[in-house]
Amino acid sequence: MLKTAVQEQLLPQDTLQAKWEFAQEAGYDAIELRGKGDFHFASRLDELKRAREDGVVMPTVCVDMLHFLGAFDEGLRRDAVAQLKSQLTVIAEIGGLGAQTPASYGMFSRRLPPFEPPRSEAEDREVLLAGLAELGEHARREGVTLFLEPLNRYEDHMVNRLEQAADLIRATGLDSIRIGIDSYHMNIEESDPAAAILAHADLIGHAQVSDSNRFQPGAGHLDWPAWLGALHAAGYDGYLAAECRLTGDPLDAVRSVPAFLRGSGA
Amino acid sequence: MTALLAGPVPTAPAALTLRRGAARVLIDNWTGASTVPSRTLYPHQWSWDSAFIAIGLRHLSARRAQRELESLLAGQWADGRVPHIVFHPAVPHDAYFPSPDFWRSSRTGRAVGAPAAPETSGIVQPPVHALAAWLVHRADPAESRRRGFLPRVYPRLVAWHDYLLTRRDLGGAGLAAVVHPWEPGMDNSPCWDRALLRVDPAAPDAFRRADLTRGHPADRPTDLDYGRYVRLATDYRQAHYDDRRARHRFAAEDPCFNALLITSELALAAMARDLGRAGAPHTARAEELTRRLVTRLWDDAAGLFRVRDLVTDTLVDERAVTGLVPLVVPRLPADLVRRLRDTLDGPHFRAPSSRLVPSYDLTGPAFDAKRYWRGPAWFNTAWLIQRGLRTHRLRADADRLRQGFLAEAGRSGFAEYIDPTTGAARGARHFSWTAALALDLLCADPEEPTP
Repeated sequence: MLKTAVQEQLLPQDTLQAKWEFAQEAGYDAIELRGKGDFHFASRLDELKRAREDGVVMPTVCVDMLHFLGAFDEGLRRDAVAQLKSQLTVIAEIGGLGAQTPASYGMFSRRLPPFEPPRSEAEDREVLLAGLAELGEHARREGVTLFLEPLNRYEDHMVNRLEQAADLIRATGLDSIRIGIDSYHMNIEESDPAAAILAHADLIGHAQVSDSNRFQPGAGHLDWPAWLGALHAAGYDGYLAAECRLTGDPLDAVRSVPAFLRGSGA
Repeated sequence: MTALLAGPVPTAPAALTLRRGAARVLIDNWTGASTVPSRTLYPHQWSWDSAFIAIGLRHLSARRAQRELESLLAGQWADGRVPHIVFHPAVPHDAYFPSPDFWRSSRTGRAVGAPAAPETSGIVQPPVHALAAWLVHRADPAESRRRGFLPRVYPRLVAWHDYLLTRRDLGGAGLAAVVHPWEPGMDNSPCWDRALLRVDPAAPDAFRRADLTRGHPADRPTDLDYGRYVRLATDYRQAHYDDRRARHRFAAEDPCFNALLITSELALAAMARDLGRAGAPHTARAEELTRRLVTRLWDDAAGLFRVRDLVTDTLVDERAVTGLVPLVVPRLPADLVRRLRDTLDGPHFRAPSSRLVPSYDLTGPAFDAKRYWRGPAWFNTAWLIQRGLRTHRLRADADRLRQGFLAEAGRSGFAEYIDPTTGAARGARHFSWTAALALDLLCADPEEPTP
């Protein structure tokens, strides 16, 4: 059975301990943290350590910023790498598994005007490989993993499909970088999401879940049994972390996810 | 079956490995709306393959399992026949023989209701589809209802059975007849040898086989057989696939084909009840078919069912696995069940190295351990017989066959068939119905009620 996690902002209450109470009652196995910029995540270290001592399970952090390692602007790029390094260090310090980031988010889409990005594909690749190498080395030293997340074509113009992430990861030669898949983006970009999972089974390190409409699993029309069945067939034993918007009563929506995923073959 | 042949129950890790492997085959062979039997040998959609595949696929994705059957039924003809191949339009015509260019269904079959698209073959395969549809529905009734699965497939499956029991009642005794050795699904079984002697083979240069480029010639039907298959199919095509016009030089009542029709008719009864309609007409038809099956095809001296050659109106003097599959019929008389069990455990079918059931009499003159349906043991017939044994509460026998199935499926890499004398894998690997039925045996409730 696959373990489930839920991102912290989806849970009610103010403290991680109180959120964990709610999450456990709903059937989750863990909380996925969110890592804001300006070293905010590092500033939470005491809070996170106390939560860990109190038994809160926090295996992963998902970056929560507006600039990323693939930014066009070098200053923003440098900052994104610095933030992520810090987040990898913090998640290592609290005994976690790793941090998830896309190459970029909301920076450019080849499907929207002006259609042609200011940087060539070759330059994109160079920038991404440099950032990934630096972050991957850092993750390796910290004993954790960087999860690179393909986003759909409207949110990122560089890494949309698992095969693109796999290609970059192989080029770095680092086993401290893995793919962080997301069911919502895969539904848009992969011609057969289940087959894509099997094709890149050896490189999948983390999984985020939301439905076809970005709402909680169960609120859309994804073929969850096929998607989860492929993860089982791939031998995946990581978490399914809910990163989604909520429809309906928010608390009921959050509570519904573990049972829905179990019922769909998780 | 003896205790010697009983293997260990798969351990939990072994079962998990097998389950993952089976799921992987089904995901790899999925093409978007249906599953190819094998990526190497069979690049289109086959009729009874799809039914067996759906039975396993329901454990991976009920939606995909429903799509599997729906896409097959999209190739159904207006006269009710479900063609044995629905061709994928994107696959080149030379990838398989006979191709759409040979069958010419959309033009030649038009008068009897072939669809304008997709292209299909003109012959049929055993009617296991209604059983599959019912099992697929039962796997996730909520998803089935949400998608309106039963209301859409039920009338099509009724039309399919009506076709078989009207246009295909060539013997006039109320059983469905096959008109080509490919129709019972056991292409080169020795059961057809004598009947095929009446058929002049098509000239070798009149066709080019595609199955030998990937398959081993020793595992496949011979060129002479193939010439006769082509001749029969050509004759049927020239009659525009019209069963009232065609003069069939090959016509037979096959036990497996009719047993599956009975089981599927009972599945239609269950579907009808679920849809708030009367199930009784289907149940009555199944009972009548069971009586005819016994009257027409049971050979009491041999202790199994025989093929009836309708051209000579005689039972064919060959023992083949088709004669054991009627175990799957729930209302079979108890003494026949006992006899079939004894035959299964006797010298003709108890294989030395394999726990599956050989496709043909181990002591028969035409036995060939390697060649397709002339001896090799197949997984779909083992699944059916296993189900039949369970239906008749022969649980220990059913469990042994189930264990043998799972062991051989895993060991052979989900082979198409195996040599029953050595257990060696034969034919295609990563074969879809082998994987699907393994998944079913691993996941389904063994006591899942027969409809």
